[in-house]
Amino acid sequence: MKKTVIPFGPQHPVLPEPLVLDLVLMDEKVVDAIPTIGYIHRGLEMMVERVEYTEMGFVVERICGICSFMHGMGYCVSLESIMNVEVPERAGWLRLIWAEISRIQSHLLWLGLGADAFGFENLFMHCWRMREQILDIFEKTTGGRIIHSVNRIGGVKRDIADSELAAILVQLQELGAAFKDTARVFRTDPSIAHRLGGVGVLTTEDARAVDAVGPMARASGIATDTRLLGANFYDRVELEPVVETAGDCLARVLVRMREIDQSIDIVRQAIDKMPKGEGQPIENRPRGLPAGETFTRLEQPRGEVLYYVKANGTKNLERFRARTPTFANIPAMIKLVKGCDLADVPNIILTIDPCISCTER
Amino acid sequence: MDGSAFLARVGAYHEAGWRLALINATTVVAPAAGTHGHVTTAEAATTGAGAPTSAGEVPAPATPPAPSAPVAPPAVEAPGVFEIAWAFARGNEFETIREQIEAGEAVPSVSELFGAAFLYENEIRELFGINVTGIGLDLHGQLYKTATRVPFSHAAIKARLKANAAAVKKP
Amino acid sequence: MANPLTLPMVRRSLRNLVSRPATRLYPTEVRPRFAGARGTIEFDVESCNFCMLCARRCPAVAITASRDDRYWAIEQLTCIACGVCVEVCNKKSLSMSVDARRVHLRAEAGLDGARPGHEEWHGADPAAVKP
Repeated sequence: MKKTVIPFGPQHPVLPEPLVLDLVLMDEKVVDAIPTIGYIHRGLEMMVERVEYTEMGFVVERICGICSFMHGMGYCVSLESIMNVEVPERAGWLRLIWAEISRIQSHLLWLGLGADAFGFENLFMHCWRMREQILDIFEKTTGGRIIHSVNRIGGVKRDIADSELAAILVQLQELGAAFKDTARVFRTDPSIAHRLGGVGVLTTEDARAVDAVGPMARASGIATDTRLLGANFYDRVELEPVVETAGDCLARVLVRMREIDQSIDIVRQAIDKMPKGEGQPIENRPRGLPAGETFTRLEQPRGEVLYYVKANGTKNLERFRARTPTFANIPAMIKLVKGCDLADVPNIILTIDPCISCTER
Repeated sequence: MDGSAFLARVGAYHEAGWRLALINATTVVAPAAGTHGHVTTAEAATTGAGAPTSAGEVPAPATPPAPSAPVAPPAVEAPGVFEIAWAFARGNEFETIREQIEAGEAVPSVSELFGAAFLYENEIRELFGINVTGIGLDLHGQLYKTATRVPFSHAAIKARLKANAAAVKKP
Repeated sequence: MANPLTLPMVRRSLRNLVSRPATRLYPTEVRPRFAGARGTIEFDVESCNFCMLCARRCPAVAITASRDDRYWAIEQLTCIACGVCVEVCNKKSLSMSVDARRVHLRAEAGLDGARPGHEEWHGADPAAVKP
């Protein structure tokens, strides 16, 4: 038996962004994996030296195209915490609604990529066709399909009329009903069960040992969800973390599918509970310059994102650090690929939902 | 910094079931050179009082956070100082250990206790030039491919600030 | 081998066989953008008083202007369509149209070797500008 080293990446059909894993193989089994990232490192954290804190929000939301809304929201929440600004109620609800719709869009994107990873292009196209409806909702309400630019420090820039919110809810519920068909395929198709079932099993102890976050941890039986912290109006909606116990790739698929339904339900609750009426304040502009530091945690579609912002009383921030969920899940990914077959490596890597542009900023 | 005491504290977090959330380094660009010395805000940080907690987490009941008050800068600042924060999370709780490190000082790795730490430590070694010793999976400077060798070192930051100031500003 | 008629996608596939395609033939067929979409920045040089606020506040530094030369230019390819300039302009000279930028059509038309996407206006006589 001979050891061979095959580089997985940086370009690979399953990867949305470049990532290199040098796979050390013994026959067809992966013995070791050494990661290299940095192909898409744009030095966005260095931009704080040049860009003022008011404009940094635009930079931050361009860290990634899939998780764009939550990055912008996390930045604004951090600055609001430093400057001691309270967001008006309607703005807080709008952020929650947009965040959950962003989660639906991200999971649909991932389900499509997951299907494409093992060749099921038909299913990939169906998931993305449904995702187009969500992107249309974003274009109507925020002006942009992917990059929204609606988060401002102290609130949001645009309001959504109540009638439009009701229409959006109807559209989402129809999407949820149409998605049931696709979900049935993921659950019952024999080829999917064969490719994903029992592959890349992450046991509960291992998930704790590698500090996995998000659907990776939830698919291994750990009921962790940053939304349960109750910040950003999440304490006003009922939600339970979606947990599966199998820990294999199929469990991670199931977690994300069930989270789509959960998000539609959260949007329904939010539209129900938010204050109705026109002309409500949506932005509470802060005064002065920020000074202080803070840690903010949000639940992005891929897991817990952690922002560390340090301001020193000038127009430029001193330090901005976004520790994205994929960064935290890379050790889990490396643990999973060791011992698997070469043919399963793309599936396993895709099931951590790698968003390398988030990881490398 | 006292390596063994630090590792003992990290070990306590590990025993109690905390999860490592982040190892972050900040380059402390001192406006004026102060006296040399090390200040570990370790004692204050055990209850999380070192950093005001944000809207993103429920504050620990023992420490009332004051998010509007700026965090007091360390009593002594020296050129070439980095501040490293090890952030731990467990459910709703969130605590950090802060250490002020001189450039070149050896920082012990926590990857024996928290396996996932290797990624953060490789990053701070490559981007900041902090000398982290004993990382579990050592990538030998191959993690990032940046144009500047150590982009967040004091020398690189000072060079950039000068270049930014000299560049043509917006009208 | 499983009976093909029991595979879950079969129903869907048969339905797709008889329905019209979901794909829009872009660029032959372009969907009109929604009313709130962020598109291209449009500028009215007549009403501008060259206060330079938009140039100062642009996060992408896409706007260059000069009060003395009464000159205003925008790099459409650098513009990120954030809308901050439209917000801060106190003369309402700037507006955001919903059409996506067709800069590639203007790129070849760059006058005197102008950069693709570079648009430039020269201001009117100060006396003619409305107060």
